Amino acid sequence: MTLPDRSSLSRRDYVRGLVAAGGATALGACLDVTSDGPEPDVPSGTDDPASLPDRQHAWNDSLSTDADGTIQLPEHHVLCPLALSDAIADGTDIDDERRETVEAGLQTLERAYEWSNEGLVFTIGYTPAYFARFDDSLPDSVDLPDPEALTAQETPEFDEFDALLHLASDHPSVVLEAEEGLFGDREQLNGLEVETDLSDVFDRVVQHRRTGFIGEGLPAEHADVDGVPDSIHENAPFFMGFRSGFADSQATEDRVTIEDGPFAGGATMHVSSMAINLTQWFQQENHYQRVSKLFSPDHADEELAGEYGEALGGSSAMTPDRIDATEADARERGVVGHAQKAARAREDGEPLLLRRDFNTVDGDQPGLHFVSLQDEIDAFVRVREAMTGTDLEVARANSGILHYLFVNRRGNYLLPARDARAVPTPTSDSTDV
Amino acid sequence: MPRPHTFDRRTFVTRTGTATAALALAGCLEFGEETDNGAELETAPEVIEVEDPPAAVYIPTHREAMRMLDPIEAGDIAIAPMLSYPHPFWIVAGSGEDAIERVEPEDGRGVHMMFTVWDRETGIVLPVDDGARVTVERDGEQVGSPLSPWTMISQEMGFHFGDNVSLPADGEYTVTVELPPISTTTTGALEDRLTDTETATFEFTYDEAFREEVVGGVEYFDESFWGTTGALEPMDHGDHGDHDDHDHQSGDDHHGDDHHDDGNHDGHGTADEHHESADGHGDHDDHGEHDDHDDHGEHHQHVPYSALARIGEYPGTILREPAAVDDGVPAENADLPRSGDAAVLVTVLESGSRLADGDEGYLLVSPRTPYNRVPLADMALSVTIERDGGETAELSLTQTIDGEYDLHYGASVEALEAGDSVTVTIDSPPQVARHQGYETAFLEMEDLEFVVPEVDGE
Ligand code: HEM
Repeated sequence: MTLPDRSSLSRRDYVRGLVAAGGATALGACLDVTSDGPEPDVPSGTDDPASLPDRQHAWNDSLSTDADGTIQLPEHHVLCPLALSDAIADGTDIDDERRETVEAGLQTLERAYEWSNEGLVFTIGYTPAYFARFDDSLPDSVDLPDPEALTAQETPEFDEFDALLHLASDHPSVVLEAEEGLFGDREQLNGLEVETDLSDVFDRVVQHRRTGFIGEGLPAEHADVDGVPDSIHENAPFFMGFRSGFADSQATEDRVTIEDGPFAGGATMHVSSMAINLTQWFQQENHYQRVSKLFSPDHADEELAGEYGEALGGSSAMTPDRIDATEADARERGVVGHAQKAARAREDGEPLLLRRDFNTVDGDQPGLHFVSLQDEIDAFVRVREAMTGTDLEVARANSGILHYLFVNRRGNYLLPARDARAVPTPTSDSTDV
Repeated sequence: MPRPHTFDRRTFVTRTGTATAALALAGCLEFGEETDNGAELETAPEVIEVEDPPAAVYIPTHREAMRMLDPIEAGDIAIAPMLSYPHPFWIVAGSGEDAIERVEPEDGRGVHMMFTVWDRETGIVLPVDDGARVTVERDGEQVGSPLSPWTMISQEMGFHFGDNVSLPADGEYTVTVELPPISTTTTGALEDRLTDTETATFEFTYDEAFREEVVGGVEYFDESFWGTTGALEPMDHGDHGDHDDHDHQSGDDHHGDDHHDDGNHDGHGTADEHHESADGHGDHDDHGEHDDHDDHGEHHQHVPYSALARIGEYPGTILREPAAVDDGVPAENADLPRSGDAAVLVTVLESGSRLADGDEGYLLVSPRTPYNRVPLADMALSVTIERDGGETAELSLTQTIDGEYDLHYGASVEALEAGDSVTVTIDSPPQVARHQGYETAFLEMEDLEFVVPEVDGE
């Protein structure tokens, strides 16, 4: 991949472009220009990876929070797709030795970087296509169907490679460096010698590599990308201009954890990649319409959202009343909110999805990589149905944000517990490595 | 002189390029930008506001000019793309004051891209939104984000899909339109059809000739008509506006720069007669079919206009306003009871109607624009039925597209008796975007009360 042109871009955009480009040269360039400097001050990891949480997806306790207590995802993300290398692609040679290699590689990351925003958090997940090569099938305790189209409007491509590494850090150089380190292009990670890399087991599937960013102010810095209007609020953390991910609208890590069977302690992950039409959203709609469509008409009438969601503080204000009003709002107000609709899928009052989505300008277009954790893929499907809302009598253009989203890819993954994360078999209990 | 309800080109028209005082208005927006050969870039005509328009359908300042492209057939449907200059329109999300927003076109090169989509078998223009996906490409590179065009109504075009699309430069563009299956309830000849996603692709050239055609083709009406109640008559879609004196040997000549085309495809002279839209004129009653797509020369592909059937073509007992219960069936669309300036036709079909469940009757409510009979889609309607002062039923109506009666809102009902009162409540007004002349109507919509008359209205 060619590197972005330094002269024509803002510094942040340039760095974003470097993360998107990936590779050793991008990393070098990144270290040159970021405040990280050539020797970025990144906290080291632990000498005792066993001290880390049992669940790979246990990020929340280690992430920072904003002033209102909402968990802040790290700013920079890479989704790095992996395919088993040809030599072992038939699955018969996936043995303890390979597992040790993968585990050692991943532990290198945990030793090199603190498990935090400032350091690095990550997961590795496996697709149904990965598990299909084994004679055994996954136990009933794991719900991991092949990905499929979930709405009548989409004809997505599917993630049919084997695994996906999700890397996230506040330091752009860290996500780049970690990825390089795992694939043998880097001798040291944050000063730590790299002894094992993953290239004997996995090849990177570069054409499906995805990147992105999230955080207050980052979307507005991409206003030079075609399709990103200037009018996006300078503090907005997401392209659609508002805060998201409030604790009361997110599933807990417990809720999304698989409870039984060999993969207890794991979770499932759905990743969908979509384009967003921000021109219509920002240049054509007014603020009232945006708040109605993203949250609920009541949020708009009550002016709960402020300019970019800041007035909500740390809560989505998605009360049972507002959720129950969805059907009536559809008929009587002619518009329903996205969050209101999706919240109809709550069970026992609890959201089912732990969303870790982030903005992207991959392909030089604004979009979203929607990363969602849940205990079973079917929970995602149910929530997505609630969000699609074909049951509601409302014009599609006023049915939340459906009108602006264009799903291009979907993938389903199993995130095993940490001790089973290295090339598991469908029946593998935690492999002792 | 009584104002005409519909407005055609026999009424005072001035054109850009003719030197009259009114045309000092028709300037250019893009000062400073230049075309490839150094001329000033004129991407759109000047937009003139109508001061204080009525809260009703009104005559806009001008008639839009557009380039019609060849319709594309795809499975059950056909799509007719049309291109004009980027212009303001209004989008609607809800019903209050803040729920309508005027969309300003962006500066620079671009088009107002429109599509009429219809069912090939019945000719019915499909007035529904299921999330079309439009992508625009130039030299194999995508231009901007994918977009879902808005459902819109305009006096000239009726129901269509459209949006302003910015273009980076003059050149050739390829547009792909993906239309998902129709999810709205369909009945009659449409039932169990329109169930596949269809894809259509077309190309167009954006250049100085295009701008001259669509900007230069705009017709401004005499100022005294601006903002008066009434509507432009539908354009005569297709490229046969001059059908009385041109032979259209080549079906695709309207792609070119032949100037005769710009604007002449909207009805004038005898072409008016063909589109029986002018209810107010009262002389068109002999036109039966509302999907008149079959009566022009074979070598023209006609694009149907989304006009609903005339009053007399609806079966059943047409309900009346309480004050007019003895007056007989309203003769003209414009005489129907109005709410928010929408004309509302209500008829009860007898038990055994194919639209009704079991042996119930069927209440068919058909709100439409008052002059051109364009269906008003994506409303929420309910009815309350009372007999002898007591309520007997309260029903939510279901938006339905029928192969014969087109878009309406309906429900099965127990047999009604003469004297029963039926109140139609507009829970939410049509959630469709509007071109100039429709943006102040169909927003604040009062309940309408109807009575079942003594005898059949026929
Ligand atoms: C560009 C795309 C999207 C944007 C901007 C967006 C934005 C939001 C916002 C602002 C909220 C409410 C605040 C909060 O998160 O606490 C929300 C809630 C939610 N969204 Fe999205 N969202 C997007 C896509 C999706 C997708 C694809 C799904 C998939 C099903 C989804 C599912 C949910 C769920 C489940 C909730 C929480 C509902 C509850 O409170 O129980 N969102 N979203």
